[in-house]
Amino acid sequence: MTTRLAAGLTLALTLAACSGGGDAVDVNGDGNDNEAPSEAAGDGGEQAASGGTLAAAIAGEPDQLDPHVTTAYFSFQVLENVYDTLIEPDVNLEMQPALAESWETSEDQLTWTFHLREGVTWHDGSDFTADDVVYSYNRIMDEELSPSWRFSSVESVTAVDDQTVEIVVSGPSPNLLANLGGYKGVAIVQQDNVESGDVTTAPIGTGPFSLTNYTPGSSITLEANPDYYGGAPEVSGVEFRFISEPTTALASLQSGDVDWTDNVPPQQVASLDGEDGLELGQVGSNDYWYLALNQEHEPFDQVEVRQAIAYAIDREGITDATMFGNATVNQTAIPESSSWYTPYDTYSYDPDQATSLLEGAGVDPADIEMEIMVSTDYPETVQAAQIISSQLSDIGINSEIKSLDFGAWLDEQGQGNYDMLMMGWLGNIDPDDFYYSQHHSDGANNYQGYANPEVDELLDQGRTETDEAARKEIYDQVATTVADDASYIYLYNPDVVQAWSSDVQGYEVMPNRAIRFRDVTLN
Amino acid sequence: MAYVLHRLLQSVVVLFGVTIVVFLIVHLVPGDPIRIGMGTRFDPEVYDALRRASGLDRPPVEQYLTYVGKAATGDLGVSFRSGQPVTHLLTARLPATVSLAAVGILIALLVSFPLGIISAVKNGGAVDSVVRAVSQLGVSLPNFWLGMLLILLFSSTLGWLPPSGYTPITEDPLEWAKRVIMPGITVGVVAGSILTRYVRSSVLETLSMDHVRTANSKGLPARLVLMRHVVRNALVPVITVTGTQIAAILGGVIVVEVVFAWPGLGLLVYDAVRARDYPLLQGAVLLIAVIFLLVNLVVDLLYAKVDPRIQLGGEQ
Repeated sequence: MTTRLAAGLTLALTLAACSGGGDAVDVNGDGNDNEAPSEAAGDGGEQAASGGTLAAAIAGEPDQLDPHVTTAYFSFQVLENVYDTLIEPDVNLEMQPALAESWETSEDQLTWTFHLREGVTWHDGSDFTADDVVYSYNRIMDEELSPSWRFSSVESVTAVDDQTVEIVVSGPSPNLLANLGGYKGVAIVQQDNVESGDVTTAPIGTGPFSLTNYTPGSSITLEANPDYYGGAPEVSGVEFRFISEPTTALASLQSGDVDWTDNVPPQQVASLDGEDGLELGQVGSNDYWYLALNQEHEPFDQVEVRQAIAYAIDREGITDATMFGNATVNQTAIPESSSWYTPYDTYSYDPDQATSLLEGAGVDPADIEMEIMVSTDYPETVQAAQIISSQLSDIGINSEIKSLDFGAWLDEQGQGNYDMLMMGWLGNIDPDDFYYSQHHSDGANNYQGYANPEVDELLDQGRTETDEAARKEIYDQVATTVADDASYIYLYNPDVVQAWSSDVQGYEVMPNRAIRFRDVTLN
Repeated sequence: MAYVLHRLLQSVVVLFGVTIVVFLIVHLVPGDPIRIGMGTRFDPEVYDALRRASGLDRPPVEQYLTYVGKAATGDLGVSFRSGQPVTHLLTARLPATVSLAAVGILIALLVSFPLGIISAVKNGGAVDSVVRAVSQLGVSLPNFWLGMLLILLFSSTLGWLPPSGYTPITEDPLEWAKRVIMPGITVGVVAGSILTRYVRSSVLETLSMDHVRTANSKGLPARLVLMRHVVRNALVPVITVTGTQIAAILGGVIVVEVVFAWPGLGLLVYDAVRARDYPLLQGAVLLIAVIFLLVNLVVDLLYAKVDPRIQLGGEQ
């Protein structure tokens, strides 16, 4: 149900700036036995060296390049520049035309008609048509590929003609646009490319760059697509280099070996600001990290106890220690930069309030023995847990840290074998993504066992409410109720931190961590 | 010839043992690869299907026998993560590691022989003290830290060398050299320091031997005595240590490859561990073990070349 977590969590490694979290290598297995396998390879490597190619250091290697299958952020960093979606978010995460030039909904809100751009071609020169959209979406739904949950309300996808696609939904779906455009995992792929199997190593898209060279373990080279519908990119190409060690990535940027990186050691961010020849881009992301208390376990079934813990935690301290301040503390899921943000600041750090809440609930803190479950694959959770544990001991609660590898962590979460856990949700855009699966009593990721009929009703309404103002009101109410009930205890929204050479111009940091080089120029 | 065959046979037996150990270790690493691959999309049916498809649902002994049977024919299975044949992935990465290890051992040899010999000849003097202090430091330096220091100095501060990346030597030798020098030094320093100490003590020992005294008293020029009578004899134990150092380097490049983003076996192993990619991990460890065995074999054969007194085969 939720690839988001897996996908996003991979990127958390990048943020945590500790090691690659990388994935295995891709070598073109079939017939093309060169080290640099690519159908369209040519001599891309040589051309790339002849100036105008932007070198970008990313923190790991894609596991594979099929956008419908991979969940690794490293894959999407590359694929963002190779593939297009029907529509796409702008820098404010508002949906804008991409392969679809315009769209409208029927009066009953059940039929969406998308009008496709004319004259778009694939990297191999063939024409892009409505059939490609139908093929791509049906592939995701039929084969139950990782983004298939995004199509849960979709009944059918059909091509009316070469330029028109019709999508029928089972009920009004105000979040359909976010689902079709908010994530490269629903990119439009080419049927031949998929069926030949090349999509995993030599993808063919309609995007601003085409893949020309892949050196396993080392780099992927893209070449500007002169026929891109938005106009050919200014740079002649982009070379993505896999550098897992943040210090090395930064040194590569400082020495001019690469022009851009998102693998910046967090403790060095502050000192980079203002460094000659470098630009630092830092914006709040729409990702969030949280604590969840298992409401099946006593005494966390009592709302006062959960609130007490929310008061006992010093978010600033946690954020400083784990993120070196490169994050914004938050008490709800959605960050301030979003139009769906709800102001809320009930839980200031207040150990006395925590103590009196526990008293009121008739719970002696000395009786609470709890386990904080975190994952070694996400070191910030381990660091945070140490601080949280000491803050809890200040109000007399004994806690132990259980630190597991992510596989075991997921297992324990699924079986409810935990008292408190820390994890993150990343890459969400629509408010439904932020709340439904986590806090609806039937939600697929409601592992903490939260059930509030009022919230359930609001969440069901929010899914189908098409009036934007009314919808905002619904989610404001959801946000505050969920926080009041401490279904999750929200900690912070991490920043997106990227750095690039002053020679790079026109680059904009996206709050959803999409990396776009199509409008960039290189001096 | 009989000896070579005997040694080869011995190596095969050892290799067989290695497969058992590798198989056990890999399966004892905590973390279920299928579970990790599925992320939060946990579906018991899909999970069972994937386990069946990967063969992980079968008894370990059966899994092992299947593995060894296939490995004997060169089939090391398919990587869980990328779906590519393991053999293919390994061979793609081998050149980078071999070239790095070769440069590392070359640097180690170039440094350790002159330093070790000078240090021994000037035993107790100022030069000897400095060499001993520096080699002690070299042995204690963590690879990781040394690599970072080099990057800071030569890339960030001086801007002389690219801090990371790899260009195959066949594509652009100059570019390859520029990129291999820092990781090569990082690898070479530790091995070089250890070797320096061995060369020094071995030469010292030889210097006190009867035949050297004889040579000296015959009035042979000191340089000739050193080269003909001392160094040649001192080489024998040094070759053994060089062999183990080559093996150590192959194992030790993991960290160096991660620091310098060098796309060799080390980086591959690192990624495979993170993803619990059993087939890839087994294949990589097996390959490293094979190289280890080959190096040892070559070292043994080299003995005879250097010192005819050593009889191959043992009993003669």
